Parts: sequence; structure tokens; C-alpha cells
Amino acid sequence: MSDRNSSADRPLPEGVRDLLFADAAAFRAMTAALQATWSAWGYREIILPTFEYADTLATDVGATVDAEMYRFFDRHGRTLALRPDMTIPTARVVGTRLYDQPLPLRLAYVGSVFRYEPPRAGRQHEFTQAGVELIGAGGALADAESVALAVAALQAVGLPEFRITVGHVGFFRGLLAALNLTERAAGRLRVAVDRKAEAELSQLLAEVPGLPPLARNAVLTLLRLTGDARVLDEAEAICLNTPMMQALSDLRGLAELLAAYGVDDRISYDLAEVRDLDYYTGITFEGFAPGLGFNLISGGRYDELIGHFGPPLAAVGWALTLDRVLVARELQGIVHEEPRADVLLSARGCTACLRWAAQARGLGLKVELDPLGLDPDALWQAAQARGIRRAVYPAGEAHAPTARPAGDDLQHVLIVRDAAGEHALAADGWEEVAAWLNR
Amino acid sequence: MAEPLTVALPKGRLLEDALSFLARAGYAAPANGNGGRKLILDGADGRLRFVMVKPADVPVFVEYGAADVGIAGLDVVREAERDVYEPLLLPFGYCRLVVAGRADRPDLPLRLERSPRVATKFPRLTEAFFRKRGVAAELIVMSGSVELAPLVGLADLIVDLVQTGATLRENGLVELRTILESQAMLIANRASYRLRAGQVRELIDGLAEVTRETSNVKT
Repeated sequence: MSDRNSSADRPLPEGVRDLLFADAAAFRAMTAALQATWSAWGYREIILPTFEYADTLATDVGATVDAEMYRFFDRHGRTLALRPDMTIPTARVVGTRLYDQPLPLRLAYVGSVFRYEPPRAGRQHEFTQAGVELIGAGGALADAESVALAVAALQAVGLPEFRITVGHVGFFRGLLAALNLTERAAGRLRVAVDRKAEAELSQLLAEVPGLPPLARNAVLTLLRLTGDARVLDEAEAICLNTPMMQALSDLRGLAELLAAYGVDDRISYDLAEVRDLDYYTGITFEGFAPGLGFNLISGGRYDELIGHFGPPLAAVGWALTLDRVLVARELQGIVHEEPRADVLLSARGCTACLRWAAQARGLGLKVELDPLGLDPDALWQAAQARGIRRAVYPAGEAHAPTARPAGDDLQHVLIVRDAAGEHALAADGWEEVAAWLNR
Repeated sequence: MAEPLTVALPKGRLLEDALSFLARAGYAAPANGNGGRKLILDGADGRLRFVMVKPADVPVFVEYGAADVGIAGLDVVREAERDVYEPLLLPFGYCRLVVAGRADRPDLPLRLERSPRVATKFPRLTEAFFRKRGVAAELIVMSGSVELAPLVGLADLIVDLVQTGATLRENGLVELRTILESQAMLIANRASYRLRAGQVRELIDGLAEVTRETSNVKT
């Protein structure tokens, strides 16, 4: 053989990864926990296609995501793309198929999304998003449900510590309107606010002629409006117009409801959050965990998206990145256990053992069969090497495997070997077997 | 007492100014000095922990949250293009990122260059500068002694940092264009800015206060 099969010749393309046993198990467990959580809140899962027409997926996504899409051609030369998020396909489904269903709709999804973005914090080009969308309901109750469910979801996936920061695009948009800047100055202001660049902001304001002191003060104060619910009171003082007042009153209503949900200790506010300003239409939020440095979850209200696909409908939702939750959990000391069988069973010359295995599995025991025909000592070594706590083999095997009488059945005696030694087990002694499950 | 904030500091030219600036804002320098080889140092008052990294690496430490905040040159921050907050410009580490060429270079506007070879430690900013002018530059990425490149015929032009311009002049090079006016900058991790809002805010305000005092002295 040439070295054609050597691993060096089978590289993975950039941006994808395998998840092996413990990680895969943690992934599935988190998914199951999320599914249990959102269905307890009345959300119904949909499964969406992995690729669609690029034009559809590029709807209203903004330049960054547009540039990050994986595009390719179908056999007719039409441009397809791998979904860069799940919200656009969800909006397409709602706008084209579900628009006359009773509202509100509560939808949930989990699956891979694909973006040419530099791998960061556990996120490759392909990564897994799980999320929910509440469609056909505006207002504080809907906003609060989405944020409270985000908290519940992060708790359900087993993250001890995290914080969700809530903002509102209406506040900054109102401020921009009040300032009446040139487009260029407004763009620079937005960049400076996005980077929390306080010095740059003062410099920028100095260059704008005739700005009223109130407006100047509002911009300079804006970056300080981040922290607990008290910043909403501080924000009152810099409101320059109705849109700003409205945004603030939305957030106040939200804060009250989040307190009622009992999740206010997980929430902080940031009125200077201007990310995705063009996409969102109301509240926005992001979740962070200590040590991770990147957001785990992001969401907000986007009342204008679904109208691109059908009748306009109010919508609020979020998506979390499971790959990042996995990293965040490890940073918080959670060990991802590798799934192990409970029993390694030898069925050498013992057809009845196969029946025993079937019944044991029925009880919920994980039974792995040895297909190599190992003798009892080798079987026990194999079990230990793989972290399986018990080896089970037919009695008589140890000493005279050939001397077994023909036609053995479940009256037969099995030998259990574990760390404590060997002992006999009646093949129908299910009481002991059941006890193994509650170790 | 709260866990100390981790500050990424650039080894080299900015370090001394950064530490004395922090000291003026009331943050004690590392207890065991900064002359040694230790890469992680605790501040004497337990409020900050310092990680000493190569200047170009400060943004990545901060982006990943390995450091909550960092001090780096604006040049380095723009070149790294990392997703970090930039709360403050600090009044030290002034320098310029410039395009320079041999003094005996033909008097040709940069935009009329066909495909100049440009040596630099700042490929991203260099690429952007020439691309914006419609010039397809051929980048030669180096990690030091960039001034040497035009002298030995490795490159037609260089893009490099200058403070006084003395090094350029000594090597028979002239500045042709300024790409970026740089100075030191405080950057912050997006998650830390929120999860450790109190401590980060205190640091920003402290440094802003010293910055104001400094500029008042100047004027």
C-alpha cells in the first residue's frame, strides 16, 4: 500500500469539525433540555432546509452576513446558499405558509448554520444554533417572554453563570433623529458608540457646529447608560424626543415583567447597544458568560423582516450558539462525561446470553456485547480499559468452556465481575440488575 | 475584594508609559517590578493583574477575554481588526504609520505606481490604503527591519511606524504619506465590559481623569 490512507492526506476543509463522544453526548443532552424547555413554554419545533436560494437567505441580513454566506450553483445555474442563520428561513416559512394560522405563533428550531467568519470561541464556519421566535405579538409581554425564555434556556443547558444585556434600538435611533447630523457624521457617531469610544465621541461632537448643549450631553452620557435597571432612571434625563421616551418606557415595562418572572438578577441594560441597528426594531439582547469573551446568545425584536416574505407580522426571538455554550460550561468547571455502557457481556457459546441482553436493555441497562470471543480475564481487562464497570459472562466459561451442556437457557447462571471481584447472578435475577441502574 | 481585572500590557515601547499612567490613576504597579521574565504579574494593591504580551497580541488577548482590558497602540488595534471596545485614547505612544520610499525615488504619485512592492509589518492597513487608491500593491510581510527592504531592492516602498523620522532619514528614506496617526488606546472585552461593569467603568473613569489632567497641563 502507498501512504494514500495516511491521515495527512485526508484533511478537513477549513471551518468544520467533528464532535466526539463526550462532546456529542453533551450536545444532544443540551438539545434535549432546550426542547423540553421551549415546549414547556408552548413553542413548536420546525425543521428547516440546510440550503435555499441565496436571494431568499440574503433578505435583510446586512452586508456582513451577506459577505459571509456559502454560495454555490444548482444544476440550472441558480445561486443557492447554505443558511447563515435560522431566523430568515423561519420568516420565509411564516410569510409564505403560516401567515393565516392563529396568532401568535411560537416556533423553535435547532440546526447547523454556515458562515465564512473567522473561528472564534468554539464557533467554526459551521456551528449549531438553537432558537425560538414569537411571531404575531408586539409589546412588553412578548418581549419579556422572549428574554425570560432566554434565561430559562441558558439555565436548562446547565450554565451556572451568565448575564443577559438588554438594549433598545429606538433609543439610539431617536437620539440620531434629534441630533439631525449629516449622514457621514451619523455613521461616524454610530461606529464610535458601537466601539464605546468615549474620547472619539467627544472629538466628533466638537466638530459638529451648533449642537445644543442638551444634545451634546445626551451623547456623552449615553455610553454610561450600561448597568442594572437603575440606568433606566438615569436615561430619563437625556431623552430628547418621543422615540427615546418610547424606547425607555418599553424597557421599563420589560424590566417590571422580568422582575415578575424572577429573572431580573440575570439582566443588565445597555442603552448604547447599536449592533444590528438596521435589522432590529425594538429591544435587543445578548448573553455573556464569564471567561468566554464572546456572546452566547443574541436576539431582539424584528417587526419588519416577515413582511419581506408575506403579510407583515411583529416578531421577537433569539438564537444561541450551542458550540459556545459547550465552551462556556467547561470554563465554569463542568466536566462533560463520556457515555459508557453499564455491562460488557460475553456471549461466547451462550445464545441465552443474547436473550438476557435484550431483556436487560429493556430495563434501561446499557449492554455492550463482546464480539471478539474474549476469555473472562481479557473481558474484564477490556471492560476496565473502556470504563465499563461490569463484565458479565456465562458461568462455567472460566474453567471448562467446552464442557457446557447443550441447550442452556435462562436458568443458566451468569458470573458478574466488577471491582469487588466475581459473583454469580441468576440469569433471571432482575432485582440485582435493576439495582445496578441506581448506583 | 473582587477578583482583579486582568490587563494586557504591551512589552516594549509603550510599557513604561502605560504603567506610570495606571499608577497616576491610582492603580499600583506590579509588586515585583516589571524587569523580570514573569509574564503574569499581580498589582501591589490587588486591583489589577497584568499579562505582558507582544504589542500586536494585545487585541487578541482582549477579544477572547483572556484579558478584560488592554493597552495597545491604535495602529495595532486597527491592524488586528478584533472585535473589542475602545473606550479611551491615552496621551502617550504618539507615532505615525507612514508610506516611505527611497529619497532618490522618481517623483511619481503613489496612485500611478504600477504594482509597487511594499514591505510592512501592517499588511491589512497597507492593503487597504493601496486598494482604496486603485493600486495593486505586492505586499511583503516582514516582522522587523522594514527600513532595510528598499535599500537592498527587496521592496519599492515601506509602510512603517515612525516617531521622529530619524531612522528613516538615516537610511536615506523619505515619508511620502501618512496612513494613520497613532497613540496608545485602552481597549476592553465585550463580555467583561458588562460582566465586570463596575471595575471596568472605574478604570475608564480613572484613566480619563488622568488624561484630562495631562491635556490641561499641555494647554
